[in-house]
Amino acid sequence: MKFLVCLKQVPDSTVRVKVGGDRRSIAAEGITWSISPYDEYAIELALERKDADASTVVSVVTVGPARSRDALRQALAMGCDDATLVTSEADLSALDVAKALAAVVNEAKPDVVLCGKQASDDDQGLVGPALAEALGWPHVGMLTKLVPGASGLELWREVEGGHEVWSAAPPVVALVHKSEKEPRYPSLPGIMKAKRKEIPEKDLASCGVTPGAPRPEVALMDLPPQRGQGKVWKLDGDAKGVAEQVAKALREEAKVV
Amino acid sequence: MKVLVVAERKDGEVRRVTLEMAARAASFGEVEVVAVKGERYSPLTHGAAVADRAADADLVLVGATLNGRDLAARVAAKLGRAYAADCTDVRVGDGLTVDRPMYAGKVRATARLPLPAVASVRPGAWTLPAGAAAPAIAEIDPAADDGRLRFVRFEPTASGGKRVSLAEARVVVSAGRGLKGPENWKIVEDLADALGAATGASRAVTDAGWRPNEEQVGQTGKTVTPDLYVALGISGAIQHLAGMTSSKVIVAVNKDPDADIFKIADYGVVGDLFEFVPAFTDALKRVRGT
Ligand SMILES: Cc1cc2nc3c(=O)[nH]c(=O)nc-3n(C[C@H](O)[C@H](O)[C@H](O)COP(=O)(O)OP(=O)(O)OC[C@H]3O[C@@H](n4cnc5c(N)ncnc54)[C@H](O)[C@@H]3O)c2cc1C
Ligand SMILES: Nc1ncnc2c1ncn2[C@@H]1O[C@H](COP(=O)(O)O)[C@@H](O)[C@H]1O
Repeated sequence: MKFLVCLKQVPDSTVRVKVGGDRRSIAAEGITWSISPYDEYAIELALERKDADASTVVSVVTVGPARSRDALRQALAMGCDDATLVTSEADLSALDVAKALAAVVNEAKPDVVLCGKQASDDDQGLVGPALAEALGWPHVGMLTKLVPGASGLELWREVEGGHEVWSAAPPVVALVHKSEKEPRYPSLPGIMKAKRKEIPEKDLASCGVTPGAPRPEVALMDLPPQRGQGKVWKLDGDAKGVAEQVAKALREEAKVV
Repeated sequence: MKVLVVAERKDGEVRRVTLEMAARAASFGEVEVVAVKGERYSPLTHGAAVADRAADADLVLVGATLNGRDLAARVAAKLGRAYAADCTDVRVGDGLTVDRPMYAGKVRATARLPLPAVASVRPGAWTLPAGAAAPAIAEIDPAADDGRLRFVRFEPTASGGKRVSLAEARVVVSAGRGLKGPENWKIVEDLADALGAATGASRAVTDAGWRPNEEQVGQTGKTVTPDLYVALGISGAIQHLAGMTSSKVIVAVNKDPDADIFKIADYGVVGDLFEFVPAFTDALKRVRGT
């Protein structure tokens, strides 16, 4: 079975983002870049299939600026087989990204395309469904598990109170929420191998994309209001007394209970 | 201005977020509320049905629930329209202006969208006016099912109780690794019961399998904005804060006085949660007279 994982390079989850001087984007200084967390889970889910069946092929693709090559390298070092970079320095509409990805899918002909449920920069969750739409394929969201079943693939999706298990005949797009295991770290041999791998590059034109699909334009960015240091109690053996005071403060001062 | 509000039901009842959207959208223009028939959501058959009905709508509003976000994205893609997810406000006039989180909730952004557009709206973003009349809901048929996706079965989460859902709760009680193990969860539940709260967890807790994934709060879990968030034995890693820092009031209990969670807590208790929590539960019952 052939997997294609779509990934996006985003600011690492540990980055304390700051708003830039234009107040419409984040400040570029001090950002370290990583694969978006849900995309890492997607890679892990696909690689687990490969662990179970060595004939499985796992490809990765990203549409992004030249620095995204590092994210692809990281995926190769984790154990993915090949990578494609669609270069675009401009920040594109999700619908245009989906169109570019669809061109790559049509060439690579994977059975399963995995996306993250949302990228942790725009927090939108649009590219996956838009890619499925562009391909005319079904999609399944909130994926946490993927196993071969009696009649096609069994796709587990997290819902309130449990999981729905769906069966799909490939090709299908799935949007990953979590993997059972933590995403693996690249191994040393993996890193060496990844260094030597060639990453073919394409541009938007060769994917048949002329950017311009409608999208939100950020007008203003803000950080959530700074929260001041609040009131602090030390227990010092008087749990009952402190509990009484906190409960009272919540009732009379904060008025939330 | 024509607004299409997509209704969602849970256990046969219309979700509150549907009512919130219908009430607010009345100030935007002409509103139609639709629900897709059938009890199980499928992106293929529901997406096509809603997109079909939305062809002449200027704005489509969907609740930013799990299924709502999935549906809204597919509908926007199908119609080739601008889309904004998880909005905390939507304003009409010279296009559309929305407020929404970005960067895993670390940033609040205001964005402009050209009309026609699709937006998913966070439950609780709009307060439901007292005495708002329930909207009339037009039932629409799902599109024909071509069988490419087949629902097989439902696997309930073993510990999934009948609590308020995390995303909609006005009070959330969350616990972290400081709880030591799943066997101690009872004190969290007792406190949550005393407050009528939903329970949440840090990723350390969900990864360890002490609690189901769906309770995880943070960057790779849920973003919550309750009136009261209680963090028990949670250190306050940046990824956890991303999911709860916009809560109105935050209470933190941690035995480490230097824990980062205290930097954002309105009320902090330095000490052993196992001593404090049962006493707190009792004290709350007393002040609330329950
Ligand atoms: C890409 C990425 C995404 C992530 N997403 C999330 C996310 O969505 N949500 C999330 O929560 N984390 C997330 N994390 C993980 C995050 O970095 C932290 O590891 C995690 O939040 C720690 O959980 P914790 O606070 O429960 O555990 P710890 O950091 O181990 O903290 C436990 C705390 O309990 C206190 N404690 C111990 N015993 C007691 C006691 N008896 N009484 C009182 N206090 C006590 C300790 O002092 C300590 O502060 C993510 C990480 C990455 C890399
Ligand atoms: N530029 C991109 N290149 C490749 N995949 C992407 C890109 N942007 C988004 N995706 C995929 O789509 C998912 C959802 O992204 P988004 O719609 O931006 O929240 C991500 O988790 C990725 O899997």
